[in-house]
Amino acid sequence: MNTLDVDFRMDIRGTGFRRTIQQYLINCCAQLVEIAMILTHESGKFMCRLWGGTSQELPPNGHDKDDDGDKGHYHCHRTTNEKKLIRNSGGEGDFQRLPRLVSVACGFAKDQAYTMGVADGVGGWRSFGVDPGEFSMFLMRSCERLSLGKDMVPQRPDLLLARAYCELLGQKCPVVGSCTACILILNRANSTLYTANLGDSGFLVVRSGAVACRSLEQQHHFNTPYQLSASPPRHHVTAVSDGPESADTMQFTVEPGDVILLATDGVYDNVPESILIEVLSEMSGVSDAVRLQMAANAVALMARILSFNPAHDSPFSQNARKLNIAASGGKPDDITVLLATVV
Amino acid sequence: MSLLAYAEDRDPGESSDTEAEPDALVDFTAMLRQRQREYGGWFGCGSKMQAEQSDQGYYLEQYVLGVLDFSSQYGIDYSISYTAANVIGRPTKFPAYGDYPETFPMVSRSGPCPTPFPFNSRPQRTYGDWWQRAPSATREIQAQNLPKLTTHDYIVVYFEEFVVPTEVAIFETFNPGSVVRIWAYGLTKHWTCLWEATESDLARPALDSRRFAPALKKTTMITKTLRIDFNHSRLNYYTEIDAIMLCGRTVSKTQSLLGKQQKRMQQQTQRQVLASPPAEASDPPATDGSGGPISYKLRTLKFQPNCHEDGATKLHDFINNDLSQFLMDNSVKGGGDLGPPHPLPPPPPPQVCLTDLPFEILLRILSYLDLKSLFRVGQVSRTFYDISTHPLLYAELSLKPYWHVASSELLCTLARRATMLRKLDLSWCGGLGNVSPTEFKKFLTQRGDNLTHLRLNSCKFLNASCIENVGIVCDNLIELSLRNCATDPPLLNFSCLANLKNLERLDLFQTAFETELLLSMLEGNRKLKHLNLAFCGVSVNMDNVAAHLATYNTQLISLDLWKAHFLSARGLQSLARLHQLEELDLGWCLREASLGDGLFQLLTNCPKLKKLFLSAVRGTTERDLMHIAALGKNLEQLDLMGILNITHERAYDILVHCPKLQLLDLSFCDNIMDRDFDLLAEWSRQFNVDIKSSRRY
Repeated sequence: MNTLDVDFRMDIRGTGFRRTIQQYLINCCAQLVEIAMILTHESGKFMCRLWGGTSQELPPNGHDKDDDGDKGHYHCHRTTNEKKLIRNSGGEGDFQRLPRLVSVACGFAKDQAYTMGVADGVGGWRSFGVDPGEFSMFLMRSCERLSLGKDMVPQRPDLLLARAYCELLGQKCPVVGSCTACILILNRANSTLYTANLGDSGFLVVRSGAVACRSLEQQHHFNTPYQLSASPPRHHVTAVSDGPESADTMQFTVEPGDVILLATDGVYDNVPESILIEVLSEMSGVSDAVRLQMAANAVALMARILSFNPAHDSPFSQNARKLNIAASGGKPDDITVLLATVV
Repeated sequence: MSLLAYAEDRDPGESSDTEAEPDALVDFTAMLRQRQREYGGWFGCGSKMQAEQSDQGYYLEQYVLGVLDFSSQYGIDYSISYTAANVIGRPTKFPAYGDYPETFPMVSRSGPCPTPFPFNSRPQRTYGDWWQRAPSATREIQAQNLPKLTTHDYIVVYFEEFVVPTEVAIFETFNPGSVVRIWAYGLTKHWTCLWEATESDLARPALDSRRFAPALKKTTMITKTLRIDFNHSRLNYYTEIDAIMLCGRTVSKTQSLLGKQQKRMQQQTQRQVLASPPAEASDPPATDGSGGPISYKLRTLKFQPNCHEDGATKLHDFINNDLSQFLMDNSVKGGGDLGPPHPLPPPPPPQVCLTDLPFEILLRILSYLDLKSLFRVGQVSRTFYDISTHPLLYAELSLKPYWHVASSELLCTLARRATMLRKLDLSWCGGLGNVSPTEFKKFLTQRGDNLTHLRLNSCKFLNASCIENVGIVCDNLIELSLRNCATDPPLLNFSCLANLKNLERLDLFQTAFETELLLSMLEGNRKLKHLNLAFCGVSVNMDNVAAHLATYNTQLISLDLWKAHFLSARGLQSLARLHQLEELDLGWCLREASLGDGLFQLLTNCPKLKKLFLSAVRGTTERDLMHIAALGKNLEQLDLMGILNITHERAYDILVHCPKLQLLDLSFCDNIMDRDFDLLAEWSRQFNVDIKSSRRY
């Protein structure tokens, strides 16, 4: 598994078929917060299996063969939706085999507020010829621009989300798709973390070896999270759509030594919480970005490996069992990990 | 390098000048700092490097620090897409050409247009003349005041440092060629026009992004505030501005001292200028005639409000003491006993004098003059003064073209003349505090009771009590236009407008108000024909408004709900009961909802519909488009921008079945893309319809 540092714009262009694109707003500060982060991006197939009925074509092996698996998968879809797929890939027509793993780091600061966020696009849109990454990427990019603006309210991550969503709807060129989102804002003035969460991405704050605060998963039913969406006409009836106002908001006072994990469901569904806590606890008080990066890599890699392990009794399969749904092993899904420590 | 450090470096002598706009420096600085970071602190560094030897000042290129004022923008206030704030900082898109959300497009949609006038034979708004052709088009008040190339939109921006401007560059990234004037606001607190376009400048430029830097008038003025005027008449589509750059030499300490002296001097002269007609400030004094002091004296006699009483005495003095001197200076024969000579350029033959004409004829002649000339004519003689101040000439007043000289004093002067005032347009006036709300209220109280038309677009001096005054005094209003008025704090306490019962046109474009208050107004004004609620903000429940309209305002002809959120399919059904509708703008409404059969009902019930804008109404389906083709017999303008899944067949259907169609906007329709350009051009020729489509470059 290799990691690359690339500009995220390349990221969008190159992976026209990625079902999730993430972006995060994060920043580092010498005095209070040292944040390092990693994004590992995986082209999971689980959602495709649900939507596209192509489970038979999933590669049985692990991440090393990921690209081959993707390719087969996309070919399958191109037969049905060829025209639209070509359009979405910007006229290039051919599916590009690009590194499936991208690590990006970007940082910015704004007076007293530090913001990070993650958005996980819903892959089902691909079967309608829509690149699911476009929506989540646009949402996060708007969040970033807005969080730099003059009228940013650090106490209102939900407002930020709502405005970004509004921004998305206000584009002349329609952006179609849906995604879950989770946004954290640290207000340095009172050391309080303000959060807004919609769907099944989420955050976890670990303090002295135990979970101090966590987001609640929002689901309509099993494996159908709450999601912001903008759907083309005729899908209004069928598509799940939740307004930004249904986001859960929380506020939580952080202390030095806290470790904050912000990740997509690809992590929480595959890595048992105990292991997460263990890894995060070790990072308490670490201000070295390199060490943090390594930890974030480790979490992502762990999630990745477990997700392709059919024998792994993942939190996802445990939940499924409770609902009498047969789903064993890991859940291949997009994985994004953002790790931050309070120092 | 931080901007703050830079600010501290600024010499103290200058900082006192910058206090002219104290708040101006605050609001956008955060944003600027962000950009600065984005570009690695490049901003302003170049200047700083040379700052040590600042005896002479140094050459500086700077980008916009903040936006003070603008007439319209495509995006909504709190958005970051298509808003005026996007001109701040360095260009973000510049070499690229296309329709980008990160730039600043203007939409002074359906605003008043000039009457057909020699140069404005194709008056327009926003782009082309489409808005003038729409049923809601209005006529400009006192159209003779307008310059050859009228201004449709403007933006006022400020920069960080005072400079003597040598170059102003405007980065246009989409449909360039709309800039017509560049103004600078000097230390002397008045506006100077640095550049003005001629007809040939507006010849449609290539469709490519450009850095537009016209040759400026040579000037020594010191400025950091610019106003750019736009005229969209030649444009094919919206124009978009990415950034504005001001280049020039900064002023060193000594120069700034000189500047202050100059300022003091100019202030003195300005005081005189202010008392005189609006013309003088922008005109070279040479046109005032050769006898500078004398004509000045005449001017003081005629136009200084406070010397009105003893004017006769002064004139007497003048005739007795200075007249012979004056005549000698001008080597003109004395004409008549009255005294002042006849200075009209070609001296008339001795037998016939202009003043021999009947009063009514003269009045008629003068009625073609613009305000500036009218004031000048008044300086000619007592006779002309009497005629030129006749109330009939001031029944319609528009100070919009004179926004740069409009002041409380001018209002005061006009108040004495305009005793029969019917139509008043004070749009764009009072931008930097030279019209006081008190003076406006006084004016209104004196002359407002017969007003039928009142336009106060983008008036920065308005406050709640001004509006209240309007409501109390002007109870005969037929048209009220309050476009783009301050929204913070909310200005419109509509209860104060409850008196108005005769309104036929109400324009609240980009002005915030509350639903209940609007509802009561709609109830009171049953004769309402034109209503513009574009950009009305999120607090308004449009479904209620629509239901009210359907109940009380059945004569409505045009309705603009552009970007009015919270209109649902239910509201659309209510609108379908407005049978007289000829124009309906639903751009960006109905966001989440599917339209149901609302559009079908609307098209069935409103057969007169000429203009239908459905920009970005994403719920529009193929079925709706079929209804449009089947029922839109009278449609002339149709906007389907950003609607998904429009097939070529449906577009073709519409073209075939709507014989009167002139404008069809298909930009950003995902199925109709660049490669169809030839096909669209072919259709355009075949059906004689202007088809807009987005081309990404």
